[in-house]
Formats: sequence, structure tokens, C-alpha cells
Amino acid sequence: MTLTECYTLLEGNYDDVVARLNSENLVKKFVYKFLEDSSYETLINSLEAGDYKEAFRAAHTIKGICQNLSFTKLFKSSNNLTEALRTEEKCDVTELLNQVKCDYEQTYSAIKALKEEDV
Amino acid sequence: MVFINNSKKSNKILIVDDSEMNRAILSEMLDNEYEIIEAADGGQAIAILQKSSVEISLVLLDIVMPVMDGFEVLAIMNKKRWIQDIPVIMISAETAPSYIDRAYDLGVTDFISRPFDSLVVRRRVVNTIMLYSKQKKLAGLVADQIYEKEKNNSLMINILSHIVEFRNGESGLHILHVQTFTDILLKCLVKKTDKYNLSASDISLISNASALHDIGKISIPEEILNKPGRLTSEEFEVMKTHSLVGASMLDELPFYKDEPLVKVAYEICRWHHERYDGRGYPDGLKGDEIPISAQIVALADVYDALTSERVYKKAFPHETAMNMILNGECGTFNPLLLDCLKDSAENIITELKENSISNHNEKEMKNIANELLRHDELSASERTLRQLEQEQIKYEFFTNVSDEIWFEFTSDPPMLTLSDLGSKKLGLNKVTINPYQNNQINSMFDISTLQGFVNTFQNTTFENPIVNFNFRVLIDGKYKYCKAIGRSMWTSDNSPEYIGAIGKITDITDENV
Repeated sequence: MTLTECYTLLEGNYDDVVARLNSENLVKKFVYKFLEDSSYETLINSLEAGDYKEAFRAAHTIKGICQNLSFTKLFKSSNNLTEALRTEEKCDVTELLNQVKCDYEQTYSAIKALKEEDV
Repeated sequence: MVFINNSKKSNKILIVDDSEMNRAILSEMLDNEYEIIEAADGGQAIAILQKSSVEISLVLLDIVMPVMDGFEVLAIMNKKRWIQDIPVIMISAETAPSYIDRAYDLGVTDFISRPFDSLVVRRRVVNTIMLYSKQKKLAGLVADQIYEKEKNNSLMINILSHIVEFRNGESGLHILHVQTFTDILLKCLVKKTDKYNLSASDISLISNASALHDIGKISIPEEILNKPGRLTSEEFEVMKTHSLVGASMLDELPFYKDEPLVKVAYEICRWHHERYDGRGYPDGLKGDEIPISAQIVALADVYDALTSERVYKKAFPHETAMNMILNGECGTFNPLLLDCLKDSAENIITELKENSISNHNEKEMKNIANELLRHDELSASERTLRQLEQEQIKYEFFTNVSDEIWFEFTSDPPMLTLSDLGSKKLGLNKVTINPYQNNQINSMFDISTLQGFVNTFQNTTFENPIVNFNFRVLIDGKYKYCKAIGRSMWTSDNSPEYIGAIGKITDITDENV
């Protein structure tokens, strides 16, 4: 699998990210780094614990990373969740969260597959 | 595109972002040209800036972060005036105009929104750093020029007044004394009243011009000027002309007549023998008709005449001179100025003892330095920065080789910094933000101990900043007994404010057993 194919799988914009970061190697390096990022766990855990402030920050971080890596699909859902959490009021985010979970899985498995082939 | 390519990376960039990935991306874009320091939240960023703000050329700052967000960091950078010397580029996914406005209001230079484009990031970073270093270079140039100008200015005035004194057969100390006393009295006066509307530059102008008060004496025949005995009334009339002569010499200057220095010198020359009750000469001005500059120099002149030896008299001791002036034996003065004289008495005695040509120059330098500090844009001239850097190196060296625990506490933002060894011995971080709310610290110290620290330092004064106290601390489940000596720190302006404390802690457990 090529990096381009990986971007197609996770529904991101490969051309955009390469234009901005100026190097395919760099994009790949950061894409792999996504696998190590703990923001997603933080998001899930803090929502379970009812810590909406922390959840907002975690969602915000995921959104920022997706923006930088042009992970268009996960960016959209994490952005929606971030905006819902911004108010810090307890509101029902189950649906938005489910979308993020789904998109995260899609993104994560696409990158994982790329990495396994790479080795 | 060509970027500055220094083999030695001389500029340091502080990247503040809670996402490691975002820091890595930025770092990757910049680390060919710059040394990168990373901070994962606002608290860490402030700790780094507190320690080495002079070394940092640029801050890339995220907004949404735990512990302390980007806006709080900016607020502190403003409060500490770091924002004037360190450019900040805000980086954020937030694009709401309210966020961007607020960031610009708080002094950020630029705003980069995500997603990052490597060319844009690099170009903006390069531009901002170049702009600031140019500005710093210019500020340094201006500072050096002001310094040179001030030096030459006071040099010329001193040569001129020395010529007058030389003919008088005096050492030149009279001029220095009058200048010093004028300065002391003026500084005391502005603390008492704002009636005369004197700014810091007015004070230095009047002190400088005071050196010219007797220039009219070059027109007085030498036999009268240096007559050992009492002057006859005819001779005295001749002597009295020196004030008008001095004034008209300045008034007839073909150039520079309208310069503030010349104008003030004119007032002083003409009216430094007027009396507050209107019985002085040459014009018989009364009360505040006499310009405050001349009133002050008159008092300084009389005081120094009394306490110095002259061809016709011995020197009186300070107490006698004070009594003579306060009893009205040497003319009448503005009561407010007499109060200033009383209040500054101790100051004046010290000056008299210490005043010599050499440390006069030093004081001059201090005045110039103060002058520079008044200009905001010059607050970080290269000169001061270099000195500061060296002081920091020294401080770090001494605290690290010492086998005692050294601490530094700043009250706003509340932050505790420990020496390397201190942090090892106590098992605490080198830098702790909000130490009162820190669980680890709260579990190590009794509540009364912590409260005691705070109270002890807050009860100190600017004049008596040093305190000793003993306490116990729980380390690895065992109580250690310690003694501490500390010093509270204050701002160095007219009304000093408490800003924190420094000190060292010695383990005395063994002595206690």
C-alpha cells in the first residue's frame, strides 16, 4: 500500500498535506506518529469520568492534528465534537462521539496497515 | 527560498503546544535553522521564560492547553514586559475573530492558523525574528548614542564650571556638591508634592544646569573674588552682579538660547540669590515667583558654603549648618524645601563623606542608566542584556556547586524554583507552578509550616528583608529538620512592592538528634 492509498482509505487529502509539508517522507513520519498519540484515549476516558473540560481539550487536540495531517474525515467529526464540548455544559454527545470513534478506527487501521506493509 | 543559514544555531525558538505531534511538526519545519525548546503547556512555557527569557528569540504559542492556556501565558508575558522583547506568533486551529483580536490585543506579532504550511511558518518565523533583531540592534544603537551624548554633555558642563571654580581658587568640589544636593533635594521634593510638575528629565536637567550657577563670577575682579576678609559694601555690590552677568551671558548666546538646559541655567544664574521673603537680589522676587530650580540651587549653595572651608571662613559641621539655615540665619527659604533638607539630612551627610570625583562619575552613569530605563523601547538594550545573562550564569553556577538547597519564589505567577541539588534532595520538580496547590508539597510540609513561610516573608519590609526560620519536612516518610535563611525581593521603584523571595535551606536533622 502506498501513502496515497492509505489517505484514500482514511478519506483524507493527500495532495493538500504534501503541498504543505513539502516532503512525502515527513508526511509519512507524522502519519505514523498518529498511532502513538494518546489524545484519543484521553478523550474516551475523560468523557467516561464526566470531565468535560479535559474532553474538550483532547477533542481539540485530535482536531488540530487531523487538520495538520489533512485527515479530512476524522477532522470533521472531531471538529463537531469539539464545538459541542466547548460550552462545558453537560450535553448529549453520544452520537458525535460515535462518529469520532468510527472515523478514528478507520484512520487508525488504515495507517496500521500501511505501517505493517512498510516493515 | 533562502533562509538564514547559521552553522551555529544562534536563535532559540520556544514551541508551546500540548500536542506532541504538533510540536514535532513545527520543530521539523524549523530545526534546521533554529534551536528548538518545547513546552507542553503554558506553565512550562512560563517556567522556561522565567529562567531564560533573554535567550529566546521567538515563541510559537498554542491557545487551548491544560494548566495554563495561551491567553494566560500572554497576560503574564505582558505583566512581566517580556512581550516587548520576545515576539510571539500564535498558532491555533481557532479562527474566530474574537480569538484573533484578543491575541493581537495581548501583543502577539502574528497569527498562524492550522493546518500549518511549512513555507508560511518558516517565512513568518524568519521575518519576525529579523524584525525583532533589527529593532534590538537599533535600540542598542540609540542607547549607546544617548549614553555618549549624556557623557559629553555633562563633561562640557563640568569643564566649564570647573574653569569658574579654578579662578575662585576652589577645588571643583563645590560644583559637585551643589549638583548632588540639588539632585537629592529635588527627588525629595517630588515625593512631597506634585505642585511643581517635575519629571525625571526635569530633575536631571536642573541638576545638570546647577553646575552653571556661578558662571557670572568670571566677570568679578580677582581681588574681590578671592579676598580673605569681609567685603566692603562697594565690593559686595560688585560681587552681587555675578548673578545678572551669568544670566545675560546665557541670554546673549547666539545659538541654543531656547534649549531647555540653557533656559533652566538662566533661571538658576539669575535667581539663585533671591530670597523667599523677597529680600534677595537682583530682582527681589518673592515666594514661588522664584523658579523652583533657583530656589533649590540657592539652598544647596548655602548649605555647601556653610559646610566647606573658604578663604574667609572655616567649615561648619553639618549640625551647625542645619541649625543656622533652619533658624533663618542664612536667608529665608521655601518651608517645603526646608522640610526636604531635614528629610534628606542623612542622605546628604553620606554623600558628603563619599563624594569624590570618581564616584560622582559613577552616579552620573546611574542617572544615565535611569534615563535609559525610562524609555520603554530601550529597556532591553544589549548592554543590560549581556550583564543579565552573565549574572544568570554566575547565579546558576554558585547554586549548582553549593551543597545546600537554594530556592527562589516568585509571587506572581506563584512559582517555586529549586537548585539542581535542591530538587534532588527534596524530590520535587525544579520548577513548580502554584506550589500552594501542589499535592506533593502539601503532603511534605505541615499546613502551619507553609502558612509560616508565606507570613514570614510577607511580614518583611523593603528595609529589613532577611529572615531566619526553622521547620520540618517529610522526605521519604521521615521528618527532616531544616533551617532556612531567606530574603524577600522587592521591585526597585519608588514604592517597592513584594515580588517574591530567595534563600537557602540547610538540613540540621543531625544536630537535632
